[in-house]
Amino acid sequence: MNAPEQAPARIDLGAEFRDAGIGEVLDALERDLVGLAPVKRRVREIAALLLVDRVRQRLGLATEHPSLHMSFTGNPGTGKTTVAMRMAEILHRLGYCRRGHVVAVTRDDLVGQYIGHTAPKTKEVLKRAMGGVLFIDEAYYLYRPENEKDYGQEAIEILLQVMENQRDDLVVILAGYAERMERFFESNPGMKSRIAHHVDFPDYSDTELGEIAQRMLAGWNYRFDEAARVAFADYIVLRRRQPHFANARSIRNALDRMRLRQALRLFESGATVDAEALTTLTEADVRASRHFQQAAA
Amino acid sequence: MGAADTPQQILDPKKRYQAGVLKYAQMGYWNADYAPKDTDVLAVFRITPQEGVDPIEAAAAVAGESSTATWTVVWTDRLTACDMYRAKAYRIEPVPGQEGQYFCWVAYDLDLFEEGSIANLTASIIGNVFSFKPLRACRLEDMRLPVAYVKTFRGPPTGIVVERERLEKYGRPLLGATMKPKLGLSGKNYGRVVYEALRGGLDFTKDDENINSQPFMHWRDRFLYCMEGVNQAAAQTGESKGHYLNITAGTMEEMYKRAEFARDLGSCIVMIDLIVGWTAIQSMSNWCRDNDMILHLHRAGHGTYTRQKNHGVSFRVIAKWLRLAGVDHLHAGTAVGKLEGDPMTVQGFYNVCRDTVTKQDLFGGGTIGHPMGIQAGATANRVALEAMVLARNEGRDIASEGPQILADAARWCQPLRAALDTWGDITFNYTSTDTSDFVPTASVA
Amino acid sequence: MRITQGCFSFLPDLTDTQIAAQVNYCLEQGWAVALEFTDDPHPRNTYWNMWGLPMFDLRDPAGVMGELKACREANPETYVRINAFDSTKGWETVRMSFIVQRPTAEPGFRLVRQETQGRMLRYTMESYAVGRAPEGARYAP
Repeated sequence: MNAPEQAPARIDLGAEFRDAGIGEVLDALERDLVGLAPVKRRVREIAALLLVDRVRQRLGLATEHPSLHMSFTGNPGTGKTTVAMRMAEILHRLGYCRRGHVVAVTRDDLVGQYIGHTAPKTKEVLKRAMGGVLFIDEAYYLYRPENEKDYGQEAIEILLQVMENQRDDLVVILAGYAERMERFFESNPGMKSRIAHHVDFPDYSDTELGEIAQRMLAGWNYRFDEAARVAFADYIVLRRRQPHFANARSIRNALDRMRLRQALRLFESGATVDAEALTTLTEADVRASRHFQQAAA
Repeated sequence: MGAADTPQQILDPKKRYQAGVLKYAQMGYWNADYAPKDTDVLAVFRITPQEGVDPIEAAAAVAGESSTATWTVVWTDRLTACDMYRAKAYRIEPVPGQEGQYFCWVAYDLDLFEEGSIANLTASIIGNVFSFKPLRACRLEDMRLPVAYVKTFRGPPTGIVVERERLEKYGRPLLGATMKPKLGLSGKNYGRVVYEALRGGLDFTKDDENINSQPFMHWRDRFLYCMEGVNQAAAQTGESKGHYLNITAGTMEEMYKRAEFARDLGSCIVMIDLIVGWTAIQSMSNWCRDNDMILHLHRAGHGTYTRQKNHGVSFRVIAKWLRLAGVDHLHAGTAVGKLEGDPMTVQGFYNVCRDTVTKQDLFGGGTIGHPMGIQAGATANRVALEAMVLARNEGRDIASEGPQILADAARWCQPLRAALDTWGDITFNYTSTDTSDFVPTASVA
Repeated sequence: MRITQGCFSFLPDLTDTQIAAQVNYCLEQGWAVALEFTDDPHPRNTYWNMWGLPMFDLRDPAGVMGELKACREANPETYVRINAFDSTKGWETVRMSFIVQRPTAEPGFRLVRQETQGRMLRYTMESYAVGRAPEGARYAP
């Protein structure tokens, strides 16, 4: 740490906020992500806390480097990875994270296949993540109580050590389903005690998923015509009832299949096409989904 | 250049090969429509035609005299595919700001040249043409050599990567200095200078161009004492060191003999002078390849033809030829120093040879003339260099902070402090004669 | 004596902050950073022991500094150097190398001169430390 500055009596928090440039990140989060109101609120809170902490540090009021490790819980496709990227950016701008990059891994990237394999693997990942955020998806798979020889425990221990001793070098975000994460924390109290912030990601509502679909399409230069839009709203209702529903990820996959159908339709029609035809998904492209057939059967 | 009044090539064979004298342009050495092939050798000349000589005709004459032509028509042309063998001048432009001078571009078919022979290339390109009467002056400014031709040469025997790997020296310029006085020291005293400079921190020391085998120091004595200095300094620093032993001699046999002695003494490098000639350079390059030796070239004599802007050969071209002939090091001039060299142009020469050269040749006098002795001079250089590299890597702007960085290092390094006190303000501010004549042209983004 | 191999041997030993700044520079150039150690620092000893593999794709020096700490703890009284490797075509070699640990005392090298025909000499450099003990015990304090 540098020599303490001459502490000013009053500090303009608004100016601090502007100078750090986190306003833009928070605004972008608000603008770019559909729904997720509670998540956005949590992120805002964390940002505010860190901003205040920074000011307190300058006034000599704060104690030590705050623990910043987090857990993001929620069903698949609820925006955990995307928010982790924004969080890394916020941490970077506030000076809690030197580089602000995100290294996203799962159990396979950390845990080895044989004795002596795990430690170098985990350390290698940790080294790559230094200065940024290590995002471990479905982190609870690291812990397999049914197999006492599982190498996952070794990875957990190395992680715990770094999470404790190198707080300035690395922020760890554990992600996964809420209940499984809860069970993981129960069996790994050491891990639980090192997580400072829990953020819960709710499922998207049907309307929000519709909005997400339209934004995705716009990003690829596609759009629904009116009938297709209505059909897709029906699709969302049907899809949610099916197994393996993964929120925005399911929507993305559905749209990919609809683009395939559109392409085949245009190709087989043999007619000449214009930009309008190339960008429009029709009701038929949507309703050909097997979820409609199953619902009808 | 406008082509309206340009003499056209005479295509009718009867007229073209009638005995007598034709204009070179009429003979077919000027072709404004010629599109150079990828396999053509291209050359740019700066020509100054005599009073009253049409620049296009002069350009055509350059093409003719450097390829197939002579001053008159010869019927034996008709026994050859002469259209192909004829070099073609295809473009000409006035030199900005230099009245009466023109840049002319000439294309040569690849078959005009023997593979792997700079002697052959130069015999054509700078053979007769520079004495040609219609030109008051002529300068070869640049060449483009096709890959197929370049691949017939073996290039530098070592190369920068292998040189650094052999020396295990990375991440900073290598430091070298030339031994002074150039002439007169006995072998024993000369070796002392080598030892002191290397012991103090230089990576290399170097013979000067005219140190060969004179009465005051025969070559074997020089080699023995220099290698004693090199090895002694290496043992005391734990670092690889070297001395460029100049093996320039009167005959190839003698040069080989000296090279072998240098090798047997364990030297990692030998040097030759440019004046030994292209063929000797290529031969020594082959020898160096066979003997794991770095080859340093001192460009002795180049100033006789590179220095004047209107006549001679640009050093840019010499650098390219030397790269083909196969030398590892080459003096490309110092951006700051006592010898001729325009900083911008020197930078360009370094770009030409990019990967062959990284020597930071601090002029020898600065090391050897240090008030505290040669070792201290070398140490001052090395400390300054390392401090600058360290600071640059830390993200500091060495252009503006340089003096401060050196002053900081001088606080704990006495030899550096003494050097800054002695020479802190010296500059070599004479106007350079070989500056670039060009005007930036607008380019399509 | 002080072995002057590497980029910065003529400067006072670098602090960890200075080392991290140099590593940061290497990472910014896209070079892979590796640690090597030895107790045979002969200038022709090309292959020092590798401390793990070169570290590719790091964004921040913290990872290297952690390994350096571990390497120093495991190998006190040896030479440790940081090498930065550039895989770009035309280089494909080390681009920077500097010593980050030395033994407390450096006895250096003996120059052996073998006299042969004429006044010719064959030179050999021998490390005092290597001569007196096997690997691992050469610089024991």
